[in-house]
Amino acid sequence: MQRIVVDAMGGDEAPEAIVEGAGEATLALADSELILVGDSAQIGSTLSRVRHDGSRVRVHHTPSVIYMDEKPAEALASKPDASVAVAADLVARGEADAMVTAGNTGASVLACARRWELLPGVRRAALAAVYPTELRRGENNDPFSLLLDVGATIDASAEDLVAFAIMGSAYAQVISQNARPRVALLSNGTEAGKGPEPVTGAHKLLLEATGLNFIGNIEGLDIPRGVADVVVCSGYVGNVVIKMLEGVSETVLSLARYAHKERLMWRVALAMLSGGIQRLKSITDWKQYGGAPLLGFNNLCIKAHGRSQPQALANAVKVTSKALRSDLCGAMAASLAEFQERREARAANP
Amino acid sequence: MASRAQHVFRWDLDKTYLRTEFDTARDLLKSAFETARDKKAYPGASALLRALRQTEEHRICIISGSPTQMRRVLAAKLALDGIEFDEFVLKNNLRNILRGRFRALRSQVPYKLPALLESRTHVLHTPPETLFGDDAEADAIVYSLYADILADRVTGEELSRILDAARAYDDELEWTMSLFRRIRRRDAVGRILIHLDRRSPTARFEVFGRRLVPIYNYFQAALILYADGLLTARQVLFIASEMLEDPDIEIATLANSLQDLLRRGRLSPEVASQLAHEARAAAQTGALAGRSHLPSFEEVAWAFTFRVRQLGTLPPPPALDEHPDLDYVSLVDAEYQRRRSKYGD
Repeated sequence: MQRIVVDAMGGDEAPEAIVEGAGEATLALADSELILVGDSAQIGSTLSRVRHDGSRVRVHHTPSVIYMDEKPAEALASKPDASVAVAADLVARGEADAMVTAGNTGASVLACARRWELLPGVRRAALAAVYPTELRRGENNDPFSLLLDVGATIDASAEDLVAFAIMGSAYAQVISQNARPRVALLSNGTEAGKGPEPVTGAHKLLLEATGLNFIGNIEGLDIPRGVADVVVCSGYVGNVVIKMLEGVSETVLSLARYAHKERLMWRVALAMLSGGIQRLKSITDWKQYGGAPLLGFNNLCIKAHGRSQPQALANAVKVTSKALRSDLCGAMAASLAEFQERREARAANP
Repeated sequence: MASRAQHVFRWDLDKTYLRTEFDTARDLLKSAFETARDKKAYPGASALLRALRQTEEHRICIISGSPTQMRRVLAAKLALDGIEFDEFVLKNNLRNILRGRFRALRSQVPYKLPALLESRTHVLHTPPETLFGDDAEADAIVYSLYADILADRVTGEELSRILDAARAYDDELEWTMSLFRRIRRRDAVGRILIHLDRRSPTARFEVFGRRLVPIYNYFQAALILYADGLLTARQVLFIASEMLEDPDIEIATLANSLQDLLRRGRLSPEVASQLAHEARAAAQTGALAGRSHLPSFEEVAWAFTFRVRQLGTLPPPPALDEHPDLDYVSLVDAEYQRRRSKYGD
């Protein structure tokens, strides 16, 4: 049985939305046990109001919470028994197989980084986010491309970017069942020499020493077009990009709402388009994504959106379960080892 | 013949003992053509029934809404599972169809309440009772109403209004009222166990008070009956070990079930430790002999202790009434409306 630990107190809507989503997941996943970490009284009170399978839920009481606006390092130091820290501990001790949290992103990354080991060949972890594009990919007809890193590692070296590319490619193979994901580096031009040193260095390494389906550099406008299935960048760049994409999506919806109020003709036009808009909304709805995986550790953490409602959290748990079933960490480790072997072989026979 | 039973256990079958789907016409048809071997009991249910039967004075009564035409296959299934019963009541739906009483096909209160009351007339004394039902239909309402009738907390006038709300046919109303007048009063129903087949939120059942306990599985039922003094620790162990033979059930499932009852305040930590103490003694005397493929008692005990520890200091359990004053007319009417909107009865 898979044991997925959920930080029940992390997130804007915690613990209610988190516990409800976890409860929903117990009904969908017959082979999983969910360990809810947090205030047992609050968790119990919410559980009693939602449908769930009580025999697949374990509550692990812990009194402290790290809130969304707290500084990660300080908060973790002053609250060693915070739910996110205890959740990461349970995984580190082998009492759980993976972790899901919708809490403070910095604290989640730090809690994992301090307790878990990095995979051989990985110097820094990457937080990956999925983004809907025009194209469909893989056996699952997945509309999402993967963007990493979106904030775990602010400055990434060429080596880090290559490791991100390898891990992202493995994730796309396992989760989207995309046999040969197209991997690209995000830069300010498609030419090989464009971009800062880490990007040009990574470009060279990816071409020479990996068996990935590397398609070169892409520009920002190529992301929503779906030119690449895995887009690699530093955490600083990725965070700016993902927040801008979210902002654009929200602005489009606000404009539509404004138009709906403003003129009758616009309202009629929107009503005529409502089917399409709903479809578009469902594709661009982050609640469907199932969270962002934190890649690079020997264990798996899925970071759900801070504003996660029950459905989003349940989807995050389902993705975690899928990743465990497919041994995502094992697949990433194998790809990284293969890269090391190729590099060593090239070094031996230049 | 009247029985001298010291304790009566009443069981529903579908969704309580048997995994049955009857939400659609297709489900009903499939269920009707299943053989005894095709039918599946919930893990631990047959072990629990057999454990209850080990005490001679225990009377097992099965009252099901399945049609009488299924008696042969259902009795065969119970025989296959090694279940002996004293009474087996099924619903005569063919008669309902022939008389054009289509409302009665799915009705709950007008069928089950008189069936329970009539069965009660078959026991000589006024023995205590434990009732087993599920969350798919109206078992919580019918069983609570039956319990309150026995305890003399429902008047004839109230019952008449309740049967009206349940849209009982005139003859059903008259028959139920005549049984109501005949029945000997005693606060006999100590426990109602509702199997959460639909995984309904447990808070939905708090209105029914402490007497009614929603359960996710039959290990939880065994724990409650152990707390009620109706099962021994050794019997609880046997039920658990039979459940562990199901591929979907692991020690973690049982340990979580224990934790769930503690969290809901339905089992006290003292009872849990008493069970652990007695179970350890039973295991040492070879209670699980011949089941060497199962996890060791130490392993089970560790998992259980760990779950209790993980809960931290238990919060105070929800304040549930011993004898809640239930508005049966509203409950029954709401149940009728729900069923009507679902099935168009």
